[in-house]
Amino acid sequence: MTTANNDIPILTVSATTERLADVRDFVRARLVGLGFTEIEEQGIVLAVDEACSNLIRHAFQNDASKTFTVAVTATDADVRVEIRDMSPAFDPCCAGLPDMAAYFRDRRAGGLGILIMTRVMDDIDYHPSGNGTPFNTLVLTKHRSAR
Amino acid sequence: MTKDFALTTTSHPGDVCVISLAGYLDAHTASRLEEAMQTAISGGCRKVIVDFAELEYISSAGLGVFMVFIESVRSDGGDIKLAAMKAKVFTVFDLLGFPVLFEIYPTVPEALEAFGPAA
Repeated sequence: MTTANNDIPILTVSATTERLADVRDFVRARLVGLGFTEIEEQGIVLAVDEACSNLIRHAFQNDASKTFTVAVTATDADVRVEIRDMSPAFDPCCAGLPDMAAYFRDRRAGGLGILIMTRVMDDIDYHPSGNGTPFNTLVLTKHRSAR
Repeated sequence: MTKDFALTTTSHPGDVCVISLAGYLDAHTASRLEEAMQTAISGGCRKVIVDFAELEYISSAGLGVFMVFIESVRSDGGDIKLAAMKAKVFTVFDLLGFPVLFEIYPTVPEALEAFGPAA
């Protein structure tokens, strides 16, 4: 784990599913004391797990020589998890979400990660690389305003 | 470290298998559950009970394993019944509506009973 200039801890992760546990531990540790319930904490951790799983398996093809970073910042208003990578850009916000009735009827499997992210987080923003920025950034936000 | 995952499969009379899960089921560990399910079903088990009592975490990769097998098991007259989930695990199933497709029981004995007297 490294620290940015503003002292925000940043976890650098090799692109292998074996590291998902490290990501979960890192995120969960940063949610302690923020007032979320256990279920809410798990939802945030799950959303990050799903985002990183997609990145590792689909963007990086489980290539452990590649890396991405995860950082968590909290304000009075919200918690933001930023995932940065240099893979080919893929905007999850543009991905079609499955119709679960059709999903179950057709006995499909897979493709639920983005739906989970949308159901447990309040906002999902994606900023692809370009315009002088070498990395893609996915920002998952959970509001704290209700507590 | 929240990455440990373990499973055991036990056979019961009436082509019933109970697959007991423990730890963390994610995109890294889901392949082990898929292998265990495949082994059980290939071995003749048509009535599968998954015991979640010791499972602490599940992601969509874990949910996907049950979708892979449900059609073939039911087409053979069997089923996959889920049992003994902690609330935090049930929440993930419920988030996506999985209780519509899968029967979820409070305990393994209740899931066994649901398979009928042959089980």
